[in-house]
Amino acid sequence: MSSTLSADTPAEAREAAEEFRSVHSAIRTEVGRMMVGQDATVDGVLAALFAAGHVLLEGVPGLGKTLLVSSLGKAIDLSFSRIQFTPDMMPADIRGTNVLTENEAGGTKLEFQAGPLVANLVLADEINRATPRTQAALLESMQEKQISVGKRTIQLEDPFCVMATQNPVEQEGTYPLPEAQLDRFLFKLVVGYPAESDYRTILRRTTSNEQVELKPVSDANTVIRMRQVVRAVPVPEHVETDAIRLVMATQPGNEHTAPMVNEVVALGASPRGVQALILAGKVRALLEGRFAVATEDLKAVAHDVLRHRVLVNFQGMSEGVTSDEVIAEILK
Amino acid sequence: MSRQEIDPIQEDIKTVVWNASNQIQSTDQRTAIAANIPVAFSLLLIIPIVGLLMQGIRYLSGLQAGSIFSLWVWVGLTVVVPLAWLFYKAATLQITIDRQRALLATDKQLGSSERITTADEFMRHPTTDGFMKAAVDDASEWAKRGRVAKLTRSQARRPKYRVAWFAVPGSAILIALLLFVGQFSRPVKISEVELSGRNPQLQKTAGLTESDPEEQREDPAEEKAQAVPKENQNKPRKQKAVNRQGNANAAIPDNAEESDGKLNEGETRESTQSSNPSSARGAPSASGQPSKSDETPKPRKKKKKKSKPEREREKKEREEEEKPSGASSGQGSSKGSDNNAAPSDWASTSQAATPEDDNVEDEEDVDDEEEEQESRGGVQPNMRDRRTPVNRDLQIGFGNPRPNPDANGRGGPSGQKKSRGVASLVLGVPIPDRVNGQPNKGRIRITQQRITPEVEESDPVNAQERTALNGPVGPIHRPELEPWLQNLVRKYFLGQREKAPLGTPEKVNDTTNSNDSLQTSNVSESESPQS
Repeated sequence: MSSTLSADTPAEAREAAEEFRSVHSAIRTEVGRMMVGQDATVDGVLAALFAAGHVLLEGVPGLGKTLLVSSLGKAIDLSFSRIQFTPDMMPADIRGTNVLTENEAGGTKLEFQAGPLVANLVLADEINRATPRTQAALLESMQEKQISVGKRTIQLEDPFCVMATQNPVEQEGTYPLPEAQLDRFLFKLVVGYPAESDYRTILRRTTSNEQVELKPVSDANTVIRMRQVVRAVPVPEHVETDAIRLVMATQPGNEHTAPMVNEVVALGASPRGVQALILAGKVRALLEGRFAVATEDLKAVAHDVLRHRVLVNFQGMSEGVTSDEVIAEILK
Repeated sequence: MSRQEIDPIQEDIKTVVWNASNQIQSTDQRTAIAANIPVAFSLLLIIPIVGLLMQGIRYLSGLQAGSIFSLWVWVGLTVVVPLAWLFYKAATLQITIDRQRALLATDKQLGSSERITTADEFMRHPTTDGFMKAAVDDASEWAKRGRVAKLTRSQARRPKYRVAWFAVPGSAILIALLLFVGQFSRPVKISEVELSGRNPQLQKTAGLTESDPEEQREDPAEEKAQAVPKENQNKPRKQKAVNRQGNANAAIPDNAEESDGKLNEGETRESTQSSNPSSARGAPSASGQPSKSDETPKPRKKKKKKSKPEREREKKEREEEEKPSGASSGQGSSKGSDNNAAPSDWASTSQAATPEDDNVEDEEDVDDEEEEQESRGGVQPNMRDRRTPVNRDLQIGFGNPRPNPDANGRGGPSGQKKSRGVASLVLGVPIPDRVNGQPNKGRIRITQQRITPEVEESDPVNAQERTALNGPVGPIHRPELEPWLQNLVRKYFLGQREKAPLGTPEKVNDTTNSNDSLQTSNVSESESPQS
């Protein structure tokens, strides 16, 4: 497979779109062998991967969040690293640091030892347990796809994707992610409980001698190419308008804002929200067999894209209003 | 994609736009009209409110009771205004359907995920890539389906008809109120109208149409100046005054004598007619000498010329009056106070009055003296009949050999000084307080008749012989009659009584109250030919 995309003709575009769907389907199927249920979560993670974004998975323990990300790493044949965040973790623990090592001549030298962040697929498990200092170490890597250690700047290998998890229940001893970092996640996926039928499958696979070995069905180059296909999808003007107005509607005091938003929303989505909406819409349009983004694509991904970008104020929290309810009100 | 392939899609999209635009336009028109329905409902209240205001103005202006329009006219106007509003809105409605809107509506109807709209946009895009062409190609099938697509009516937002819940009954209530209010008219005080002198209708009712009160007040001074040279003009008035005085003497000679006891006729007339004895005495001397006013007689203002029949009638009356009043006129001339043409404003008012007024005043003179003293036409009341104040001079010596016969030792200021008191501050506006046809009760005369009660015998009534009623009688409504209706009924029965022969028993109007019946009897005494 070539890493460059050529889609000047409709036939090539059709071919590229068809390839995208096939790759997506292959990865999804392979991950699905390990991950039972959670189809929406798997689709969201794959969409974020193809849209070159990062994913924040939120769910109670035991739902397979870590398993999902590790399975994805195995299915795509990407370098995968897992970071278990704890309150005593330092930025150097994830970025890497200069270590004094012995050279061949018997002397010593400072050598950079890369941290777990230097990988294609990074699982930041329970990211909200790390201190803000450590959390901030992720900011540069997520946005600039590089890390700076001392005077050294290390470019992270493409594709780079951070998939973080957090537990919404245990809030004691945690550090909620700052808005700046939340904004850098393309999606915030809420992982729910599996269905009854899925429980049986989970039991059968995990409580028997049956071993599931995942095989890589794709590679980094394919992912990069699929990212190019996604970005090649055109966006009609009226869809762009809808996306912009949708994001503006989340901002209190804006002309497109609903009265409810003015009352219960403290902070709306940033321009990164529009970018995320369009990119996620493109992925969905390709998966739906279309060659252009439609408004329904925006609506379909709006919750995942805007959920962590809309911050409810104290009044909204006291009234039990969630950001999903605000988004649903905006989408009406 | 070749040009030949794009053209059919363009044609399809063009057709889709045309179809969808027409359908959306009709839907929008319905929606716009429906949106104006609440406004139309609220307009139902306009006409009743305006009508109420007009009725209120009509009431305040004291016009006759009655609604401006009938019930059905009000209802018609009330309904016409909202309908006109809706027609106006429908006529001035301008709906322009955007091309994109039409295509989006078709896409939504077909469930094509905006493929047609996207293709239309991409076809007009200057640069197209493979994905755009693929999108246009992808939309060709949907565009063909869109040519024959029939848009389902989008659920137009139903306007809130809550306003109708109070507009319709509200307008009905207002119309009912309007008609109810129209039954009333404001009672107008006749005194206000007389003072303002601007309501000719009521003046006509009050019998003051011939001359203005202001004019009447001005007349005495002028007449006083013109009294001597214009004997032709003053003579009738003098005779009229003499006639009035003669009638008064003929009517109440006993009263005058009883009140004073020692006065003769001339003195009695003096006390009742002249307001100022000194001026009254001076008038006859002036009558024999030409005054300065003779040389420059002032033209009379606003003097209405009497019609020919009136003049003839007055002439006849004068001739009749001169015959019996010769003696009295001679007395008056000898005394010199009775024939004064303008002794006071009161006299001038009487002179300016019509013969009907003269009759009324004559009746008043007959009635009682006390009433006459109260109604002196605004002239300072205490000055009219006042005698010469008692002289303070005790006339005890001081070289005056002749004692003053009026000296009684009580003393007091002179008559001139007494006239400067509070009495002089009373406004002297001649206000006729009795006018024919005024809505007051008028004078009430109570006549007592001593009749020995007689026993009436009648056959005893056996209650058992009465038969039961055939059906329920039910409540009998006896509304209080309006004053004008009472008056009408009273006049009707009076007219019936006059027409009826002498032996016919009188019908008594049960609907009038005790006062009304009393009035009826009084009037019958005065007006009926029997009395």
